[in-house]
Amino acid sequence: MPVAEEFQASWADEVEIDQGVLPPPSEVVENGLKIVTEYKYDNDNKKVKIVRTYKIEKRVVSKSIAKRKTWSKFGDSASDKPGPNPATTNVAEDVFMQFITSKEESQRPDDGELDGLKPPSSNVIFKCRTCQGDHLTLYCPFKHTQIAQAKTAEAAKAAEAKVAASNKYIPPSSAGRIPGRDQPPVSREDVTAIRISNLSNFAVEADIDDLVKGFGPVHKLYLAKEKSTGHCKGFAYVHFKFRADAAKAIQSLNGHGYDHLILNVEWSKPPQNN
Amino acid sequence: MKPLMLQGHQRAITQIKYNREGDLLFSAAKDSKPNVWWSLNGERLGTFNGHGGVIWCLDVDWQSINLITGGGDSSCRLWDLETGKNIATLKSNSSVRTCNFSYSAYQAAYTTDKAMGHPCEVFVIDTRTIDETVSGQAPILKWEITDSKVTSMIWGSLDETIITGHEAGDLIQWDLRTGKKIHSVKEHTHQITDMQLSRDGTMFVTASKDHTAKLFDTNSLELLKEYKTERPVNSAALSPILDHVVLGGGQDAMEVTTTSTRQGKFDARFFHLVFEEEFGRVKGHFGPINSLAFHPDGKSYASGGEDGYVRVHNFDQSYFDYTFDYNRE
Repeated sequence: MPVAEEFQASWADEVEIDQGVLPPPSEVVENGLKIVTEYKYDNDNKKVKIVRTYKIEKRVVSKSIAKRKTWSKFGDSASDKPGPNPATTNVAEDVFMQFITSKEESQRPDDGELDGLKPPSSNVIFKCRTCQGDHLTLYCPFKHTQIAQAKTAEAAKAAEAKVAASNKYIPPSSAGRIPGRDQPPVSREDVTAIRISNLSNFAVEADIDDLVKGFGPVHKLYLAKEKSTGHCKGFAYVHFKFRADAAKAIQSLNGHGYDHLILNVEWSKPPQNN
Repeated sequence: MKPLMLQGHQRAITQIKYNREGDLLFSAAKDSKPNVWWSLNGERLGTFNGHGGVIWCLDVDWQSINLITGGGDSSCRLWDLETGKNIATLKSNSSVRTCNFSYSAYQAAYTTDKAMGHPCEVFVIDTRTIDETVSGQAPILKWEITDSKVTSMIWGSLDETIITGHEAGDLIQWDLRTGKKIHSVKEHTHQITDMQLSRDGTMFVTASKDHTAKLFDTNSLELLKEYKTERPVNSAALSPILDHVVLGGGQDAMEVTTTSTRQGKFDARFFHLVFEEEFGRVKGHFGPINSLAFHPDGKSYASGGEDGYVRVHNFDQSYFDYTFDYNRE
C-alpha cells in the first residue's frame, strides 16, 4: 500500500530514521600520514566515529625482501586493500618490559666504576651546604636549580610542621603524610612517580631532565608528545629511584615558574581501573 | 612498546616462525588456515587454505619460496609462498606433529603421532624440486619410534642429523644416513614442547612441561644451562644478538578456570643465557603462550598464545640499555 508511506512521520520517528544512515568511510593521504575515518554502531546502538592514523614510511631493504613486498595478497586476505586491515591487525595497548631489579639499586656495576673516580671522601674537609657534595657551596652545580630553593623551603616547612604538631589534631589515617597532598598507598610500585603538568608546548625531554635531575637519580622520564607534530602535550611523568627525592621535587617544583608558565607537580595517580 | 596484535586465527596458536630474513611471520593455529604476515606492520599477506583440521607445525625454507605445514587431518602439505597455492599433499596415517625443512631445504622431515593404532614415525622426504609429484613420492627415509612419541624436532648441524624431543622428556639425535640413534639423553622429566636453534646452530634451547627450559649443545647433546620457572614452559627462543632467552608458558588452558587468577603467569619471561637468571617480563596474553620467536635481527619478538592472538613486540631502547648486574671481579 503506497498510501501509507505518504503520511507525515512524527519528529521522533524522523530522528530514528536519520540515525539509520551512516556517513560513508573516507580515506585521506597527506604529508606521510594516512587518515581513515569510518562510522559504525557500538553495542549500545550509538553511532561511533573511528579515526585511524597510519604513518607511511619508506625503508631500504634487501632485494629479496623488496621483491616479496610486491606479492599480491592471497587466501582470506585476497580482497584486502594495501596496508594493514583493521580486522586482522591492531595496535595493542602499550606494554613495558618489567625489569626484575632485586639487587640492582644498591650495587650497579657502573656506579662502582664512578665511585673509583671520585676522590676519597676522607680527604675532603668541606661540604656543600646545598647538595652535600665535596665542593664549596659557591661552586655548587645545583646553585641555581631547585635544590637550593628546596633547602629553604624545607626549613620553612619543618618549622611550620612543628607548630602544627603542637596544637592541631591529626587523624591517625593521615598522620605521617604531607598535609594537603593526596598520596597513593606506599605499596604501589610506582610511588616514586610524579606528574608535572602545565608545561609549555616547546618543552623537550632534556628540559625536564635538567629540571629534575638535581633532586636525585631518575629511573624513567616520560614526556607526553603530540603524535603528529612531536610537540609536548603539556605534561610529563618522572619516575625517581627513591621516594624521598620525588617528594622533594614535588615540594619545590610545584608552583615553580618555568618557560612563562607555572608548573603543577603532584604525585602520579594510579591508573583508573575500569 | 606498542605491540601489534594479529587476529587472524579463531583458535589457539600452535606455532609461529619468522623466515630467515625476518620480513615474514608465519602463524599456525588450531583452526585450519596458517597465516603469513608482514612482520614490519602486521599486515596479513595471506592465508593458506586447504587443511582440514588443526595445524600443529609449520616451517619455511631459507629462501622463503615454500612452506611446509602438518596437521591433525593426517597430512603434511607443501605450499607456494608467493601465491598461497597448495603444491603437494603427503598423506599419513595419523596427525603430523612436527615438520621442518633442513637448512638447505633439499630435504624435509616430519613426524606423526602414535594414534589410531599407528606408531609414531619419522619421515624424511626429498624437497629439491617441489611440484605435484612430491605427493606420490615415497620418503627417502622413514623409521618407527617405539617409545614415547615425538613432540618436537629440529635439524642438526650440516643437515646430517635430526634431533627429536619426546613426550617422556628424552632427546634423541638420529643419524640420517642410517636412521640409527647417535645420542640419547633424558634431562627433562616431562614432555618437550619446543626446540629452537641458536643463530649459528651450535646450541638449541628446549622448553618442557617440567617447568624448565634447557640449553643443549647441538652436536653432543650436552646439557649446558637450565632456566627454571614455576609453570609449564611451552616455548623458548634464543636472542640472535644478545645473551638472552625468552620463555613462554603458563598453566594448561584446561586448568586455568580451576585455579585462582594470580597475575604474572602468562608473561613472556626473559632470562640471561649464561647466568640463568630472570631479568624481565612482558605481559599481554590472556592465556598461556604457546609459541615464541625472535626476529632474526633481535630487535623484536613475537608470541602466539592460547588466546588466539599473535603479538609482535618491538623492543624499547631500555631493553638494549639494560645490562645484567653481575660481579665482574
